[in-house]
Amino acid sequence: MKKSVIKDIAKTVVFLVTAFFISVIFQDIFEIDEHVSTLFAFAIFLISLSTNGYIYGIVSAFIGTLAINYAFTFPYFAFNFTIPVNLISAIVMVTIALLTSALTTKIKRQEAIKAESERERMRANLLRAVSHDIRTPLTTIYGSAEALIENGKTLTEQQKSKMLEGIKEDAVWLVRMVENLLSVTKIDSGRVKIIKTPVVLDELIDAVLVKFKKRYPQQSAEILLPEEIVVIPADAILIEQVIINLLENAVMHAGDFTRLTLRVYVKDSTAYFEVEDDGCGIPSEKLLKLFDGYQGSESDDKADSKKKNAGIGLSVCASIIHAHGGEITAENTTNGAIFRFSLKIEENRDEQ
Amino acid sequence: MNNKYKILIIEDESNIRTMVSTMLETNGYQVILAETCSTAKLIFDSHLPDLVILDLGLPDADGIQFIKHVRKNLLTPIIVLSARTSESDKVIALDCGANDYVTKPFGAAEFLARVRTALRINRHSTKEGKLPGGKFTLGDMTIDYDARRVSIRGDEIKLTQTEYNILAVLSEHCGKMMTYSAIIKAIWGESADEGSIKKLQVNMANIRRKLGIKPGEAKYIINELGVGYRMDQ
Repeated sequence: MKKSVIKDIAKTVVFLVTAFFISVIFQDIFEIDEHVSTLFAFAIFLISLSTNGYIYGIVSAFIGTLAINYAFTFPYFAFNFTIPVNLISAIVMVTIALLTSALTTKIKRQEAIKAESERERMRANLLRAVSHDIRTPLTTIYGSAEALIENGKTLTEQQKSKMLEGIKEDAVWLVRMVENLLSVTKIDSGRVKIIKTPVVLDELIDAVLVKFKKRYPQQSAEILLPEEIVVIPADAILIEQVIINLLENAVMHAGDFTRLTLRVYVKDSTAYFEVEDDGCGIPSEKLLKLFDGYQGSESDDKADSKKKNAGIGLSVCASIIHAHGGEITAENTTNGAIFRFSLKIEENRDEQ
Repeated sequence: MNNKYKILIIEDESNIRTMVSTMLETNGYQVILAETCSTAKLIFDSHLPDLVILDLGLPDADGIQFIKHVRKNLLTPIIVLSARTSESDKVIALDCGANDYVTKPFGAAEFLARVRTALRINRHSTKEGKLPGGKFTLGDMTIDYDARRVSIRGDEIKLTQTEYNILAVLSEHCGKMMTYSAIIKAIWGESADEGSIKKLQVNMANIRRKLGIKPGEAKYIINELGVGYRMDQ
């Protein structure tokens, strides 16, 4: 807030001083002063256009009037308020200031409303998608739990354990969904700055793999890391979420695959993270809007709610990486798919 | 005859209270329940439980107050239940003296493992205040405090001074989650900042490589990103 006030004052001063000096130069060289009010009017127009609110325009209109009166009308370098021409130029300048400020304020307000409604729309889309997706697991949990309470005695042990498995599985799914939503709220609206701290790659990958193994104990993954210690300025928890999402995405959507690889390499002081599988690849019609997530997912396969969660997961990845100033891409390989994202690494290595 | 471990559960959500107490009772622990911070203090002082399970968000006061109350004169292990939204809450609780935390939601297996670990620390510290002997053993790893040597299956691991110190500090608090700032304080005697946390992480990465622990293996040292480290099987 304060910064913008200082900036506005600086702009006002610069425009006014420039107008004043150009007028002085013109007066000296060409010995005319008809241009003076026009020049000041233009300066005031520019000030009103580029500053916030009315105050700068009006104040500079008054300063302009006084400056013209003092320096550019006879008697020179003295105030004389009896000249009607000067009064007219004063009125004109104030009017210009008022109208321009009113106009720019209105435009700015409209832009803010537009951006806000765009954000609202995205949030509403996300909420709609989420609340729709949440219904399926909630149905399992609610229904199974009720059945177990009401008819627990008549159910066979096998039926019971199957229902309990279902409850657990869907609860785990909800947990993941909530984790993703939490990450989104952390970076949503773009206003919240990501707090980057230096993260040692080994520690990050270790934490990721521990969590991944907890969720998918059966799933093995090949890990290829650089030999040297790499430090990346980032929000460790958010990047952890991105890599887990990508690994999980491969497990859930790559179909039958035999190899899952997590590879990190450094090139031109950028760390590239790759998650590669040799599964079914990404359907080409989905490839384009893969990271848009919840926006485009309403039309297609409504039935498969678990697929849509992937959409949310990947769009979360994209927003996290973009907020870090990195890039994220997905492409099909000859057999399977590869997701890649990049983050700048810390340059100076002064460890130990 | 009652030689079961006594565990105090402080949690205002009745469903979670029921779940946690059921998990513990079916595993042979004796459970005492409290819903507010004030009753918890009273119950704690009169029953002196062996372990406390504490939810930080209590209706009448912050759970941190309870930790401070206990830590005034006792080392009873405290496990904090926390929601993921607050990395900093965990760190504050740990730095105030909590031994470990479990993030909600959690499963029975994970929770009971933490309970067992926490009770094990209590046994160490109540017996003689310090770890027995000049040696510490965890799985294949042995730390010889007198010779300042670390070995795995008898083979010495060449560590730098700093790396050894970090391992020694973690082993002295085996089972306890140590925050970055607690470790940094113990090793370098300075307060934690970005640079020192990075320094610690780099050393840790080197230790893990030297010990031959693969990423994700979670052997000997548990890495809680953004919070700290814990030595554990």
